[in-house]
Amino acid sequence: MGSERMNAVGAFLRDRLPLSHFSYEEMVGKKLVPVHRMSWGYYFGGLVLFFFLVQLGTGVMLLFYYQPTVSDAHASVEYITKHVGGGALIRNLHAWASSCMIFCLFVHLLTTFAMKAFEKPREITWISGVILLMVTFGFGFTGYLLPWHQIAVNATKVGLQSIEEAGQYMPGALADFPRYVKELIQGEAAVGQATLSRFYALHVVILPLLTFATLGLHVLMVQLHGMSQGVDHPTGKTERFFPFFLLKDFSLWGLVFLAVITLALCLPFESLFAYPLFEPFDPLGSTPEGIKPEWYFFFLYYPLELLPFWVVMLAMNAGIVLLLAVPWIFRRSSRRTLSMIAAAAALYLVTMTLFGDAIYTFFKGVPG
Amino acid sequence: MTPRRFLPAAIAFTLALPAYGYPEFQQFVKKNSGRGTNCAMCHVHPDGPEGLKPGQIGSLSTEELNQLNRARAAFEPGQNAHNPILNAFGDSIINTLGKTKFLQIRLHPEELPEALGDTSDLDRDGIPDSKEYIAGTHPLDDSSGEPASLFLINLRRYAFHLVMMVVATGAGLYGLNAMLHWFDLLMSSGRDKDASEK
Repeated sequence: MGSERMNAVGAFLRDRLPLSHFSYEEMVGKKLVPVHRMSWGYYFGGLVLFFFLVQLGTGVMLLFYYQPTVSDAHASVEYITKHVGGGALIRNLHAWASSCMIFCLFVHLLTTFAMKAFEKPREITWISGVILLMVTFGFGFTGYLLPWHQIAVNATKVGLQSIEEAGQYMPGALADFPRYVKELIQGEAAVGQATLSRFYALHVVILPLLTFATLGLHVLMVQLHGMSQGVDHPTGKTERFFPFFLLKDFSLWGLVFLAVITLALCLPFESLFAYPLFEPFDPLGSTPEGIKPEWYFFFLYYPLELLPFWVVMLAMNAGIVLLLAVPWIFRRSSRRTLSMIAAAAALYLVTMTLFGDAIYTFFKGVPG
Repeated sequence: MTPRRFLPAAIAFTLALPAYGYPEFQQFVKKNSGRGTNCAMCHVHPDGPEGLKPGQIGSLSTEELNQLNRARAAFEPGQNAHNPILNAFGDSIINTLGKTKFLQIRLHPEELPEALGDTSDLDRDGIPDSKEYIAGTHPLDDSSGEPASLFLINLRRYAFHLVMMVVATGAGLYGLNAMLHWFDLLMSSGRDKDASEK
């Protein structure tokens, strides 16, 4: 009985970690990429990696000047923007690339789901991808606070407050748990120096290390298993991963780089917001209007503002569990069904991101 | 009343006034642009002139208070007054219009852009201060401006840089293409050699 179980575990791991494929020939030289109507979906994973590399490069440059203290953080960001040669470009590139990275990540998640690229033996690839999604949201949340301006601090306060609010729906001693979590993240009674230090450490050390580890596993799995079939009826056409697919990938990176650097050079990210939001945070000053999280949290933010808190929290936690269990829950679903679910999810994300404010105004009578 | 008598009377009246800002302008900008704005468009402190914080009246030194009084008496345009509670845009409004005209316009804040004209661009972002006022963006911050206008202005400004970037990226991709093909040939010739040896 015991040996049977061991054999089953061994077989499971052999299928998921085909280390016999761990060679240049198997992973690169002989690797083939299917060509079909959904082939464009294969490029989004590479784009996420590209934007992550941009974030890494520009983030390291910003580190040379950024000061993680409540007294100097905003001034150091101002200094980078106004006095450091190329500083405004680097900072804008960091801001634009972060948004582009999350956009590509959403598209990558949905296309991977619709193409059923999570099915056996690619469960580890899917789960590591979901972990990378969470880590990327972590980057977004922690990075938002670092400039220490009005929107940064006030939006972080709202985000942390929502963790504490979960306590009222928990039984007995568990009710205090969310407050402990909030205080652990916050580091002190209110958002202050301890919070900034923690977010800084998370943003520049812990999350990047976690990303390297998870991304390494994710890319290794993609190379070991090769590209998934992607469609129900393969065309039979393929192209070699190296050098043809890789060159197309790099060419797309080049085009996207030109688009993002044009945006970074010509359209300051801050111009999309009202200027009072970027003034240094003043704990004694009045809170300006329009405090909101970044656009990629709107799909959570507007429901939180409109629906009872417990409904959104329940849906969010169920969503995370559902995402992690996708390879098992949808293992018998057809690609047609998966495409319809992905389209519905995309519609929800687009509607909440673009029209969330209008929906909020419609129901509440005042702008969100 | 002759101008000689009017001026001291006006100064005395102005000095006797409490130090309120002129919220009519802010209210107009918010309503017109739909953007959140605050007193920092014209004042040093975002919460306005009253208070003890830096840039507010309660924080001023004696010399700065004298400066404030001189600036409040700048009834005619072009007096180059510097008011310690106003920022460069606030000063520029008073120096362009003069306090007398400014107080008249206060009742019609929509007329301020026309009175200011299109020549001044204090932050040099390419958008005149008067247009920034209408759009509710900051006239002293070059990263604040109506996004579409800012994009087109900067696109023209950095056209050469962008062309050079396109050339560099194209050249880089061309080199990468050649390098990867060369590497592929190298690896496949190695494979062929191994196969023939076997």
